[in-house]
Amino acid sequence: MNGSPLTAEVAFTIGPVAVTMPVVITWGIMAVLFVFSVFSTRRLAVIAGPVQTVLELLVTTIDAQIEATIQRNPAPYRMLIGSLFLFILVASWTSLIPGLEPPTATLETDAALASVVFLATIYFGIRSNGVRGYLKTFADPSWVMIPLNLVEQITRTFSLMVRLFGNVMSGVFVVGIVLSLAGLLVPIPLMALDLLTGAVQAYIFAVLATVFIGAAIAENGTKHRPPAPPAPSETKGTN
Amino acid sequence: MQFDWWTFAFQVINVLVLMWLLSRFMFRPIAGIIAERQAETTRALADAETAKAKAAEATRAAKEEEQRNASERLKIIEAAKAGAEAQRKTILDMSRKEAAEIAAKADADAKRKHRSDRQEQLRESAALAIRIAGRLMDNLPDDARILGYPERLQKALDALDGEQRNALASEPGILRIVAPRPLSDAELAATREAIRKALKIDPPQTVEVDASLIAGLELRGRHGIIHNSLSHDLSRIAEAMDRDDHV
Repeated sequence: MNGSPLTAEVAFTIGPVAVTMPVVITWGIMAVLFVFSVFSTRRLAVIAGPVQTVLELLVTTIDAQIEATIQRNPAPYRMLIGSLFLFILVASWTSLIPGLEPPTATLETDAALASVVFLATIYFGIRSNGVRGYLKTFADPSWVMIPLNLVEQITRTFSLMVRLFGNVMSGVFVVGIVLSLAGLLVPIPLMALDLLTGAVQAYIFAVLATVFIGAAIAENGTKHRPPAPPAPSETKGTN
Repeated sequence: MQFDWWTFAFQVINVLVLMWLLSRFMFRPIAGIIAERQAETTRALADAETAKAKAAEATRAAKEEEQRNASERLKIIEAAKAGAEAQRKTILDMSRKEAAEIAAKADADAKRKHRSDRQEQLRESAALAIRIAGRLMDNLPDDARILGYPERLQKALDALDGEQRNALASEPGILRIVAPRPLSDAELAATREAIRKALKIDPPQTVEVDASLIAGLELRGRHGIIHNSLSHDLSRIAEAMDRDDHV
């Protein structure tokens, strides 16, 4: 780590481009998740094994959470929400490996995640209500609210980013400080707490992203529309 | 603190790539297998519903068949009852008729037997009466067998119509006097006198003995017999009693 703990360490450079450690660790996480996905879904069967059962439980839980929040068929949103949850969870838990810092402890990673959510909110809002309908939502309940609504779009994205960054970074800092002051085994309870914090932050980030998307697609008078029934053909292969 | 835009750009790309990877290799296959299981469950439920409907249909058909069989069974039983009743009536009528015939035949046989027995009894009684009379006559004086009979013979001859009397009178040589024992001269004379008075002819001189007469005198010719004996009287009494029984 260089001088400032808030500055990402450069792993290597490609010409003028400096590739920092969070990026490298993210690539590692992506590789792990990719390999795990490929191997765990290689032999799927109707009668599920233990790993498949856990994965099905994960997918059905994510779907249930999405459906309960936005009252819609969860299939189109599963890719975004599920990926955010899994990435933040695994990224937070990389702190268990000595010498590695969670990518989510750097502001750039959290900004990237919040930006994706911000863009996804706009995308799903326009897809659901059209460009005109989506823009009209900024004038709800009256045109006077347009500046406030615009600011809200920015601030809630910013708060999403800062919340995740602050929680994960603070955990890493605390463990580092305790480790520098006390013995080798003293930070273990704090690390355990850090695992819990990481899981909670992953859940909060995913739920907030779902809420933002749900608000975007429901802002054209569709808030009370009942959820679409989970038809098998609709669920299959639409993510 | 610095914000590294290259890191930001890398992480945005990384997140998007990771989303695609997880979608392609995890979420889509898992959702697919869940959907497949749901489809299979739905298909199994539909098959079960179909099987249930078929079972219900089969049950309904079986019930209908059972009802039809029950109805047929009732019809067959009713027909069998009617047939049995008709057959019973026929058999009963035949039996009654046969029983009536048997009873009538038995009654006729019994009557015939009764009549036969009665006749036999009468015959036996007559024979017994004749024997008794004979024994009684044996205990009486000998002239008791003839006494009074010449007068009875004359009355019998007098009771004949003229033609019968002429027929007897036309054959004086053939007429025979029959008595249960040889007649004394006085008895013969009285007998001849009675015949002479009745028929106006010369009566036969000889007497023919027939102990079966027991008592009495008879005149026998070619054209007839003048019965005038105790045995003949007993026989007539027996015949009269037999006629009375028939009546």
